[in-house]
Amino acid sequence: MKVSTKGRYGLRALVDLANHSSNGHVALNSIAERQNISANYLEQVFSTLRKAGLVKSVKGAQGGYSLAYTPSKITIGMVLRALEGTLSLVDDTEDKTNDLQDRSVQYCIKINVWDKMTLNLNNLVDAITLEDLVNDYKTMTGTLSSMYYI
Amino acid sequence: MKISTKGRYGLEALLDLAIHSQNDYISIKSISERQSISDNYLEQLFGALKRSDIVESIRGAQGGYRLSRDAGQITVRQILNALEGPLALVDCIIEDESDRCDKFACCVTRVLWQRLMESLNSLTDGITLADLVSSHKRLNEAKAGEYYI
Repeated sequence: MKVSTKGRYGLRALVDLANHSSNGHVALNSIAERQNISANYLEQVFSTLRKAGLVKSVKGAQGGYSLAYTPSKITIGMVLRALEGTLSLVDDTEDKTNDLQDRSVQYCIKINVWDKMTLNLNNLVDAITLEDLVNDYKTMTGTLSSMYYI
Repeated sequence: MKISTKGRYGLEALLDLAIHSQNDYISIKSISERQSISDNYLEQLFGALKRSDIVESIRGAQGGYRLSRDAGQITVRQILNALEGPLALVDCIIEDESDRCDKFACCVTRVLWQRLMESLNSLTDGITLADLVSSHKRLNEAKAGEYYI
């Protein structure tokens, strides 16, 4: 039950981008350095994000990526769905339906457990935006740096 | 981002056990037949459930497994934790301190993953095996009722 590297690194990189994009486009190399993620890998991830319409790219010396919308309009759900596909905890296609004498147990668990967990996750990630995470970041780093003055 | 077959089959098998055991021991073979899960695999799953003290077993001809306590005292979270481990979508939130990356303290996505885990924890804390048994009963009654319409 894990989110893939693509989802984890992609989300981190997007928060970084949102945090640094006030001055135009951001070069992938700078995100790669700050986040300690290989630039090659980020290229792949950002290509997926670009196809999903979440980031825009500009080529050239001053080029790089920027968010396609303001951070408050991009939910974590949109990002994770672009990188991970549908956010569901069980695969419907994995049903072993046909050879089952009694499907009622499976169905009962599906509606009472898996569907509820999936809905819970989706609702939560749809309610959190990139802006929220950027604000969290500012609060956390603000707290951390103020600690040095104590 | 999926629950493994361990979690899925294990929960199915345990609900089957809760439905069919009126406090007596149920053989793996009968669960295996009803749920079409191999009995070798079920032995593994019940081994994990036993170690987590969710089921108890006796050996012998009349042997098998039963719940170690009332179904109302067994939550879906306990079952999934026994079979799948913590409901964590990333590893870094459950690893030892020594394995943490240097950005752990100020990683906002880590806080997000923690929130998701906590939310799944409290959701599954609120569903007991007894809830599933009574939902299953209602579903079957509704199904039986269809024949009389």
